[in-house]
Amino acid sequence: MNKLIELKNLTKNFDDQQVLRGINLDIYEKEFLTLLGPSGCGKTTTLRIIAGFEEPSDGEVLFNGIEISKLPPYKREVNTVFQKYALFPHLNVAENIAFGLNLKKMDKSVISQKVERMLKMVGLEGFEKRDVTLLSGGQQQRVAIARALVNEPKVLLLDEPLGALDAKIRKQMQVELKKIQQEVGITFIYVTHDQEEALSMSDTVVVMNNGEIQQIGTPTDIYNEPENRFVASFIGESNIIEGIMVKDYLVQFDGFEFECVDKGFEDNEEIEVVLRPEDLDIVAPEQAKIRGTVRNITFKGVHYEILIETELRTYMVHTTDYAEVGREVGLKFGPEDIHVMYRMGSY
Amino acid sequence: MKQYRNLIKPYLVWAFVIIVIPLILIALYAFTEDGNEVLTFSFTLENFRKFLEATYMSVIFKSFKLGILTTLICLGLGYPLAFIISKCPEKSQNLLILLVTIPEWINMLLRTYAWMNLLSDNGIINRLLQLLGISPVTMMYTDFSVLVGLICNFMPFMIIPIHTSLSKMDKSLIEAAFDLGANKFQTFTKVIWKLSIPGVLNGIMMVFLLSISTFVIPKLLGGGQYMLIGNLIESQFISVGDWNFGSAISLILAVLILIFMSLMKKMDKDE
Amino acid sequence: MKRNHKFFSMLYVVLCLAFFYLPILVTMIFSFNSSKSLTRFTGFSLRWYQELMGNGEVIKAVYVSVTIAIIATVISTILGTVTAIGLSKSRKVVKELLLNINNIPILNPEIVTAISLMLLFSSLGFRKGYLTMLLAHIAFCTPYVITSVYPKVRALDPNLANAAMDLGATPFQALTKVIVPMIKEGIFAGALLAFTMSFDDFVISYFVSGNGVKNISIVVYNMTKRINPTINALSTIVIVVIVVVLLLSNLVPLIKKKAKKLNRRMVRVMSAILIVAVTAGLVKWGYVAGSAHVLKVYNAGEYMDLSLLEKFEKEYNCQIVYETFESNEMMYTKLSSGETYDVLIPSDYMIQRLIKEEYLQALDWKKLPNRKNLLRDVTNKSYDPGNRYSCPYFWGTVGILYDKTVVDPQDLKDGWNLLCNPKYKGNLYMYDSERDSFMIALKALGYSMNTTNMEEIQEAYQWLINQRDTMDPIYAGDDVIDNMISGNKALAVVYSGDASYIISENPNLDYFTPDQGTNIWYDAMVITKDCSEVDLAHEFINFMISDESALSNTEEVGYTSTVKSAYEEMKDGTYAGVSSYIPDISNPKNEIFAYQKPKIKQKFAELWTKVKAK
Repeated sequence: MNKLIELKNLTKNFDDQQVLRGINLDIYEKEFLTLLGPSGCGKTTTLRIIAGFEEPSDGEVLFNGIEISKLPPYKREVNTVFQKYALFPHLNVAENIAFGLNLKKMDKSVISQKVERMLKMVGLEGFEKRDVTLLSGGQQQRVAIARALVNEPKVLLLDEPLGALDAKIRKQMQVELKKIQQEVGITFIYVTHDQEEALSMSDTVVVMNNGEIQQIGTPTDIYNEPENRFVASFIGESNIIEGIMVKDYLVQFDGFEFECVDKGFEDNEEIEVVLRPEDLDIVAPEQAKIRGTVRNITFKGVHYEILIETELRTYMVHTTDYAEVGREVGLKFGPEDIHVMYRMGSY
Repeated sequence: MKQYRNLIKPYLVWAFVIIVIPLILIALYAFTEDGNEVLTFSFTLENFRKFLEATYMSVIFKSFKLGILTTLICLGLGYPLAFIISKCPEKSQNLLILLVTIPEWINMLLRTYAWMNLLSDNGIINRLLQLLGISPVTMMYTDFSVLVGLICNFMPFMIIPIHTSLSKMDKSLIEAAFDLGANKFQTFTKVIWKLSIPGVLNGIMMVFLLSISTFVIPKLLGGGQYMLIGNLIESQFISVGDWNFGSAISLILAVLILIFMSLMKKMDKDE
Repeated sequence: MKRNHKFFSMLYVVLCLAFFYLPILVTMIFSFNSSKSLTRFTGFSLRWYQELMGNGEVIKAVYVSVTIAIIATVISTILGTVTAIGLSKSRKVVKELLLNINNIPILNPEIVTAISLMLLFSSLGFRKGYLTMLLAHIAFCTPYVITSVYPKVRALDPNLANAAMDLGATPFQALTKVIVPMIKEGIFAGALLAFTMSFDDFVISYFVSGNGVKNISIVVYNMTKRINPTINALSTIVIVVIVVVLLLSNLVPLIKKKAKKLNRRMVRVMSAILIVAVTAGLVKWGYVAGSAHVLKVYNAGEYMDLSLLEKFEKEYNCQIVYETFESNEMMYTKLSSGETYDVLIPSDYMIQRLIKEEYLQALDWKKLPNRKNLLRDVTNKSYDPGNRYSCPYFWGTVGILYDKTVVDPQDLKDGWNLLCNPKYKGNLYMYDSERDSFMIALKALGYSMNTTNMEEIQEAYQWLINQRDTMDPIYAGDDVIDNMISGNKALAVVYSGDASYIISENPNLDYFTPDQGTNIWYDAMVITKDCSEVDLAHEFINFMISDESALSNTEEVGYTSTVKSAYEEMKDGTYAGVSSYIPDISNPKNEIFAYQKPKIKQKFAELWTKVKAK
């Protein structure tokens, strides 16, 4: 795959506040890339810099190897789907979609053909003459996507496009967006604070916090091998435990040594260990090294969430097995369930 | 909740007495002749026939011409100002809008007198011109002086609604237009202008309404020969004493304005 | 490029604001001028502020403007808010109907609203004054309150009041404790709008008030006749007050937090002040006629030494309600619309009309011992033979005021036709009055100015049309005085009294009455038929023709006195050599205006409108 966009050491200051602190990121053709992070982490600013609505304070934006950070948005081969869609209320559905094409002074019949094709793709056939302000949120969303895609951009930028939709339509749109991306075969850069959304749709997830990139990787990498405590706690629920990497494949925490699959740390380096709640099994006390008492059990639908108090901390376990409060239990996990990561001072 | 319905009753009565009845009185006077006594009337269409005479038609024509001209100039000058203000940071926006509105709170007559002193043949502006070695220009008692007075007084009524519609406009719509390939000019014509039309129509209505019916400003800055429909009505009541004809003109003016307003409303809906 | 762009934007904003503030700035600067000139700054002084403080009329007007604005704002805000809340709960038909009616005063031209209210009050037989002005202001303010409050009410959750009542609030409590606080912003905006509209109103107040009740706008409008920088002083004070109020209102949210308790007390104090103000206003100007010894005098604007009024009030322990009119016709309109006065000071032909239409009562000359002071030449004229009804006040002629440095003395021989001399095209003022203008045309053509011959009138009309088309004259009102003093144009048709004053201010000018004859006019004091203070009215007239009063009156106003001693003193003193002070009574072609039959009068009015409405 070819590199399409390169962000090089991007920084951005608003007044005296630094919102981006040196972003380096390569974005490839046909990739579905998600910028994930809590609000204020700089993900939207990064997107707006790529779109051209903001100029970086420092650093470069390369598009196909050409620096574009000073280029106005209307000269860039990218299009955006806005957070609240930003549909033009004075234009109907078809006019909204045709907006960009009309500006290019395209032939009328070509335009209507393209508009029709787009409406078909987003499942809004026959909506041409509708008033956009009277559409439902999901429908507006589709119009916004069609309006952007009809211009055949190299990259589509999506700024929390599903944020305003309710849970059910949201799920449905996630699937559809992915389908559309595969159909048109262009790069999508997607901004969200919803980790589930990020994991289920993306080829690449970029986790950001405080204006910095925390980790770049596939959804599985990000989930299974978080590089630091922030990523681990932001992506899914975890038990995070401080420990020591005794040597390759051997880690020590809670007073015991465990075999693991991680290597490449220095011997006796202080590290942190992530144990995902669904990776822990509740067994009889004598079958496990770590033992504790069940303090609380909550039914969550598919599984139970059980809090187990040990000598040093409380573990969270997701399991389909029931365990009554007050029972003494053991916690069991295999070497592949232990994820070792670098310890970060500030988290 | 129904108990609150009764709250409108006082105003219903009040509005009937002080808004509806007076209009009926105007109509009554307009269709009758002779005298200022309501009881002695006899029906006539004479007052309306009289209005069709060329002189009066030219008065109405002149009023509309001036009204339209004032409105267009206010729009031409006021829109850019509202636009620039709406681009400023929020704090300066509030200040600038305040600065635009303050003069409206100062007596219109006083400001008009000040213009008389500024524009007269030996007035302040001509004195300054003389100091610069430019020969004085006659400005008072011309279309120019009347327009200056009207625009200075009425332009804020254009600026405020336009600014309101511009400032509450969703910024992402403008970004969306840029994003879809519109340059600054195209973004303005295809999005910003279109979306500010309700404000523009509001402003046009206000300014046109005010400038078509004014009689004080043209009288002071235009002289007695500047006869507009407002002056015509005033003179019928105050100096000529023909209340019936005056009422007829008022009625015609009210109807014309009503037609104009409903046209504007229709345009607003179509947009 | 970008910076340039920004620079031009800011420049544009500054230029626009300069345009708005230029007149205000001029007003403020010239309020500190030491001389009367409104175009030349001669030095700093506070003299106009002193004069303003001494000017009872202006102070009264400020009081009227402020109290009317406050009361109208309070009432229309309450009425409007209550109605807006009720509207949101009303059935659709009622709602639409009321909203449409409510829109009428907003969409109707102001002048139409003004006239409709005037017709209402006069057909209901209301005495025009404080109360009618207040009612009219409430009438046009309330719709603005409703339009700014109603959208806020509509945006409220309809369950709010229900929730409050569910929690035990009575409907009234739900209203005051829940709904009103939620729509506070709309109410405040509406109240502000109402106050501004009311405080600044001219047109509606002008038509509906009377009996000496004037707001600032009306006083200002009446001040046109003479340069009067006290207006500037007044407006400077108004501007400063407004700016201070604005600053305060921006600071209020800060102060409010600190002193919420104080606020309550403030409200109470404010309402107490308000009640006192209303009562005082109503007592003082609303029912003024009810109290003993009040004399209502109706005179032309800027036509009396106002200190004489105070002197008279003191001497005779009474109160004078003094009101001014712009023209005799305006006075007649007011009179015929049911307004009552005790003493009027109209012109000859109007007196003749008033006598004919039985508006006046005969004077009791025995009660006027000062009659001996009157000039012989001013009594027993055709408009009132034997002076049964009228006592002469001022007199004079109509003539041409010309700039000696511009007008060739040879051209004066043309008489009135000087006004058609193309040499002076665009350089002259006509007087915006139908009778005076037709007088000029008729005299120029050699006819009587009192003609009823339609052909002659038509010919005169043609003369005026031709003059208008060839000469481009300005048909000015009393602003001619200021303009001629400043030397703006070379020629002007003026009354002799104004001429005297103008010449005394600008010696480049001189005055002459054409040999073709002119209008020789007399203004005189008369007593109305329904005068309630007949004795006091006689005392007043007698007082005005005393040697002392007449002298100070003619000195102040500049018109020719009808009292011999004053006339002679001025003729040889202040106005020595000013020809306009001495009316030329030798020319047999001079005439006095006679009463016109309504048909003829209306013909003149119509033709004059046509002359002006090119």
